[in-house]
This record gives sequence, structure tokens and C-alpha cells, in this order.
Amino acid sequence: MKLRKDASALAIMAILFLAAGPIHLAAQNLDPANLLKPPADSWPLYHGDYSGKRHSSLSQITPQNVANLSLAWAFQTNQGAQIKSSPLLVDGVLFFTVPDNIWAVDARSGHQIWHYNRPSKGEHIGHRGVAMYKGWLYFTTPDCHLISLNAKDGSVHWDKQFADPNQGYWSTMAPLVVGNHIIAGVSGDFDNLVGYLRSFDPETGETQWRWNSTPPAGTPNATTGGMTWMTGTYDPELNLIYWGTGNPTPVLNGQTRPGDDPYTCSIVAINPDTGKLAWGFQVSPHDTHDWDAVETPVLVDADFHGKPRKMLMQSSRNGFFFVLDRVTGQSLLTVPYGPVNWNLGIDKQGRPIPDPAKEPAPDGRFIAPDEGGMTNYRAPSFDPKTGLFIVDAHPSYSIYFAKPADGTYGWAGADYGLWGKGVIEAIDYQTGKIRWSHELGPGGSGAGVLTTDSGLTITGDAFGSVLALNTSDGKTLWHAGMGDPMQSSPITYQLDGRQYILTSSGGVLFAWALPQPTPASLHSQARGN
Amino acid sequence: MKRLRDVAILTPLIACLAFYLAQAPIQAASKAATPTQTAQPASTQDSPGSKSYSTNCAICHGDNREGILPAFPPLLGIQHHLTDPQISEIIQKGKDRMPGFPDIKGDEMSSLLHYLASADPSAATAVPGAKSTSQSSGLADAGGALFLQNCAFCHGRDTMGGESGPDLTRSKVVLADVNGDQISQVVHEGRPEKKMPAFNFSAPEMQSLVAFIHARAALAASNPGGRRGVDVSDLQTGNAEAGKQYFTGAGGCSQCHSPTGDLAGVAKRFEGLELEQRMLYPRGARSKVTVTLPSGQQMNGTLAYLDEFVVALRDAKGTYHSWQIANVKYNVNSPVEAHVNQFSKYTDADIHNLMAYLQTLR
Repeated sequence: MKLRKDASALAIMAILFLAAGPIHLAAQNLDPANLLKPPADSWPLYHGDYSGKRHSSLSQITPQNVANLSLAWAFQTNQGAQIKSSPLLVDGVLFFTVPDNIWAVDARSGHQIWHYNRPSKGEHIGHRGVAMYKGWLYFTTPDCHLISLNAKDGSVHWDKQFADPNQGYWSTMAPLVVGNHIIAGVSGDFDNLVGYLRSFDPETGETQWRWNSTPPAGTPNATTGGMTWMTGTYDPELNLIYWGTGNPTPVLNGQTRPGDDPYTCSIVAINPDTGKLAWGFQVSPHDTHDWDAVETPVLVDADFHGKPRKMLMQSSRNGFFFVLDRVTGQSLLTVPYGPVNWNLGIDKQGRPIPDPAKEPAPDGRFIAPDEGGMTNYRAPSFDPKTGLFIVDAHPSYSIYFAKPADGTYGWAGADYGLWGKGVIEAIDYQTGKIRWSHELGPGGSGAGVLTTDSGLTITGDAFGSVLALNTSDGKTLWHAGMGDPMQSSPITYQLDGRQYILTSSGGVLFAWALPQPTPASLHSQARGN
Repeated sequence: MKRLRDVAILTPLIACLAFYLAQAPIQAASKAATPTQTAQPASTQDSPGSKSYSTNCAICHGDNREGILPAFPPLLGIQHHLTDPQISEIIQKGKDRMPGFPDIKGDEMSSLLHYLASADPSAATAVPGAKSTSQSSGLADAGGALFLQNCAFCHGRDTMGGESGPDLTRSKVVLADVNGDQISQVVHEGRPEKKMPAFNFSAPEMQSLVAFIHARAALAASNPGGRRGVDVSDLQTGNAEAGKQYFTGAGGCSQCHSPTGDLAGVAKRFEGLELEQRMLYPRGARSKVTVTLPSGQQMNGTLAYLDEFVVALRDAKGTYHSWQIANVKYNVNSPVEAHVNQFSKYTDADIHNLMAYLQTLR
């Protein structure tokens, strides 16, 4: 009897399985075509799609019903590192990371499927997540290994070291998959090192190309640096990847690297098949304040001042909002989105002109924004309906010092933050005007931003609440305390007809959804109770 | 059966070991900048305890008891926080994922305990200024690896400051610390007001971290000329008279402060960078709040918490009260906001002059 019951259950399961269609038959196997147009039941790239807009077409959760949003599940990693990654979602399984660790978690229930741990030496400041190609995951480590794992069980497929941690490199970033290229970048601010991007063959791990941000270390009067520590974006039509590069080194002392220091603090456009530079735009020429320009290069196709444009937008760490024509790299708009006091106007190319009097000095220079910048690695979002570029901004002030004793290697100075706060700003991309702002609290929040077609903006405040704001005016529609401020960028997906919003706090991942009927309540409905 | 279980425990350990062996060249190279491990004196190296250690323990805890963090704790200085009976119990029965070694007993156990209690043989090459065995170089090396993983991003790989974290070799906490009593508290509890997270290190990990920080502080102190960072002497470029004028005039400072009142002797209480930071924005300054309840009753106190949803105060008796903002009206009086309003008006010369003036208030 039991056997028959099990058999019939199996038969039903088999029918359901087949009815679910080909996507489910290819479990834990990402069709590369889906990267070009991700289905609603997936989040297969760091930014959800190649554009970096972090805008979802999902609209089950709306400004009208968001007040009912409640916890669907929470996943406890039970370790000290904060979650700073964006999960991937493929075939109902979430993959997310902290340094040395990957978890595969069921997106419906929040239970663990597998956990990968590989202790390592090196800088453990944070980790942004994994990339996926077909059935393989790609994971960077503090000691600069790129590891390919089987998404089904976390077993290692191949393991390649792609930078030398003994020189001072480390890695935190989620690689970008374009065609058959796995593109990874490096971190390293404490040594005068060349930043670079490297592309790997997904099957073998062999290097396909390498692009260097700066000339080789030791080149006279030239900079090093330009680390590539955040995931870029991709335009399939132009076949260009767009990447932000980090600050020059030595960091606070610019004397040994006169001039603009290309391509540090820049947005660069690179051919993903060859690694050749198409164009570069420096958002901070000759930076001396550690303002990496690695914030998301957001790709938007829309009218600019009445003319259709392929644009790239960045709210940069240096305090300026940039709109570029991403075909040519020409500037369309450069405007500050908070207090800045370090530049002498904007040059003809649309680049802020650094004020030499604001370079770090022995008796200190008063600088806005602070070293953390007007924003940092947590992602902004672009809402196409309202034309608003929504960013977690950080108005702030600090003092920067540098003197001969600080030398010309690595940090080469010292800086001290004085004050800052967090504000969500909704920037009109055509003018740079701030249409609304929403205060998040002292210090700053650190949360990224997600927008949805239904008109919601999801982010977090400085105290540990997740917030759902009305995208049209920035007013709070729903909130829930998570215990500690979110240090990641939210994502959303829909499974079995139910939309989930994923946020994190400390080492816990939270999935929020509208309440759904329980089996018991369905049963009583069926009986007419 | 028991043997089988031990094998089962050992297998993952061996897998970990294989990984660590693969990492070995990297570790060796990373020590290049710190005092190297020299040959051990014959007396401890040849002792039975040393041999037992090499055979049973070194595979995980390192050849020189330095540990392989974060997975395997260092054993240097273990006698400071575990008694011999506790150590022998762990050896015999195991702990967490460490297997037990029931065959180690009698003379072998005694000699192993003796070896574990011995000073780090490489301590002779430790950084000058090291005060105790807990600052031995082997331990400091282990702490250095831990520091690199967890602390270096903010405090710099050399502890002398990095992204957003201060120079620890000048830190009051570090300078006042004795064998980790101050440092471990800050590390365990974090400094939420400065965004420093709390870290849950084990006692041996903490000990190694403390040893590393002290070794770096000793090294920095041994190089007094050409010191990096910010010295009091660096902050003497302003004009005190111009600063006084700014204080009473454009700066608006005298609207709240007085050189003979709250700021009398301020330069005796604070100096250098700390004085300048407090001058520009005094962190932790208190705000007052008045909350009006639906009944019309008013509550006054120090603002204890305020976000979009909840307001809280601490009353004169020190009692904490909180309310949903939707249910009350509140009014915050925050004099420190005047410092924020001044930010967009300062020139660097204003700041240097004001600093010069404040330094006359002794």
C-alpha cells in the first residue's frame, strides 16, 4: 500500500516535472542566452542583467500592497563576516558568498543545499558574489585564485591563481561572464601595483587576454593602481564591456605620478573578445583621495535632451554624477550630487579639474566627500519610467594629510573622516537635479538600491531597517528592522508565481514576500469554512 | 571501530593539510618582511616533548607552534590561558574537530606539556621592545596573518592606518594595553559609533593579534625621526590671532563656546589631531529631545535613538523610554548641528588658524 502511494506520488511529481518545461530539466545549468534576457525566475548576473540598472520588471509587490510584505524565510550563515554579495538565482537555487565561503540555498525555502569553504590567507574585507556559465560557478578568493565549481554540489572544477597575493593583490569581486569569457579583476591599495582585468576560458581556466589599467610598476613619472574590483556591465550590440577602475598609487601622494594618471579612476570600454580598449574616460584625473571609480557603469537607452542615446551613467565616489555617450565615451553631463570642494570647475571633456591646493598636505586639507566617497560599491538603480537614477549617497567631510615621511609607496599619507550621513537621492539624469531625497541616518547606510516596475525602491537605512520607498516621491511605504545595516544590494525574483525581495544584514539573508495562503487555510476554504 | 572513527576524523584534516601544504610557499614568502624563524636551541629541539610535538601536533599547529590560522590555533603561550590538566585533557580526548590522542600519556605527556610551556625559541629574534613571551615573533607572525585577513584593509597592512581606520601604533588603546587587556575588548566589542565591527576571535587568535600589534607599535616607536602620520608639530601652520577673529566672527563659534568657559584649558585636555577632529566635529555630542505624548504630557531627556519610526530618550534618572513616532510629537535640540552647518563655509586657512587659536587655550 505504501509502495503504491509512493509510486503514485512519484508519478504526479514526474508529470509536474515535465509540465514545468525545459528550464527545469536543465537544473543548475544556465543557458548563456538567458544572460542576454534573464527570465523573471532568475537573477543570473551580479547586477541581474548586463545593463547594471538593477531594475526589475516584476510587479506583484506594489506600492498599494507592500505594507503587507512579510518574512518568507531567513538564512543564517552562522559566521562573523557580513554578507556584501549579491546572490545569483538560477533554477530555483541561490548562490551567495562571504570571503572563503559559498552557499547554495533553496530560493523557495531558504534551506542550505551545499556550502563550500576554503580558508585562505589574504585580505578578507568582503566578497561580492559568484558568476555562472552553464553548470559552473566562478569564485574569486582573498589569495587571488579564480575557482570554478560545479553548481550542483560545489565540487571544484578547476582552480587558477590569477594574481600574486605576496605582491599585495587580493580579490573580492564577482566575475562577469560574456560569451565564453570569464572576466575577473583585482584589488590592492597597499602596494604600488598595476590593476588589470583578465579573461579566462570557462572550461579550462586558460587566460584569454589581460588588459592593464596602468603602465608597469617602475615606469618613470607614471602611476600604478587602477584596480578593477567591481563587476562591470556589457552592451551586446556594441560588444563592449564597461568597467570602472580604482585609484592611482601611491594613494594620497601624487608627486611621483604627475599628470592625469590614465586609466586610474576611469570608466573604460573594452572589447570582451580581444581585451582591447575602445575608449576611456577619467572621472578623477590625478586623484589623491582614494576615490575609486568602480561604481556601476549603468547602461541606459533613452532620450537625452530630445535625442535617442546609448548612455552610460555613473554616480561616482568622487561626488560627481556622470552621463556619457557609451558609443564614443563623450561626456553628456557632469554634475555634483552632494557637497564637493576639491575641484576647480569642469574641463572641456566633462572631467572635474582637481584643485592642487586640495591635495593632502602636512597640515591637513579639509575635503568633501570623505575617503569612503559620496557613494561606494553598493549598487544604484535606474528607474526607466520616472527617468530617476537612485543612489545611496553619503554627504561627508574629512581631513587628508601627507608629508615626506609618509613616502611614495602604498597609502603614503593619512586621512580621517569627520562626519557623514546617508541619503537616498533620486537624480534626474537629464539635468542632474535631485528630484527627491530620503534621509537614512548618521554615518550612512551602505545599502544598495533596487527598483521595480510597480514603482518601488528597495534599500536600507543607517539603523538596520530594510525600506520600501515610493519611487515617485521617496516616501516610506514599508520597513522592517533586520538588526544591522544592509551591506549588500537587494535583488528580486519570482518563483511559482510569488515575488521575493532578498536583503541581507550581518551574516543573515532575508527573503520577503506577500503572505500566501497556507495549506490549512486552503483546505478550510475548500470546505467552505 | 574507534580507530575507524579516528580515521574518519583525520581524513578531512589531511585534506585540509594538503591544501595548506600547497599554500606553504606563500606563507614562507609572506614572512620575508618579518623576523625569520631561526634554528631552535638544541635543548628544546631534541627533547622528548619536542619530538612528540613534531610527531603528533606540528602537522596542524605548525612546526614552531605558530598555528595555521584561521583553521588551527597557535599553541605558543597556551600556558597563559589553559592549565596543564586542561591541556592534557584536550590532548587525550580531542576538542571540536581536533582528534584525541589517547596514546599520549605518562612521561610523554609530561615532556610534551613541558615543551608546550617553553618559551618560543625564535623569541630571541623578536622585535626590540617586546615585553613578554606573548610578543614573541612566532606568535606575532601568526597574528600578522590574522591581521592581514581582518584588519589590514582599514588599519593598513603595517597597522599604521589605511582606508578609514586609524594608525594603531599611535592609538591610545594600544599604548595603554597590557597583554591584550585593552585591545581585546575593542576587538571583541567593536566600535559601532566609528563603524568598526566586532570580531569573534578565539583566545589564541586574540593573543597572536595582540602580539603582532605590539610588535608593530614597538617597531614604530624605535623610529622616532621621520615618523609617518600626523604629529602635533604638523598642526602649527595657522595664525592664532586670525583664528581668534574667526572664533568670534565669521566662524560663529562664540555663539555656543567661550575661551574662559567650556573651552578653558581645552589645549591641555586634547592636542594635535584629536583636538582638530573635536574642533571640527565633536563625535558623541549629546542632543536634547522633548517628546509630547497623546495625553499632552511632555517628556524631556537626552536623545537616545531616532530613526524614521522610533524616538527614544534617556530621562534625568537614566531611564530609557521609546515611542513609535506615529504616536507622538517630538522636538530635537541638537547644538552640534552648528558644526555641520559650518562645513561648507570653511577654508583650509580658517581651520589652521582656528587650530592655532585653540592651542593657546591652555
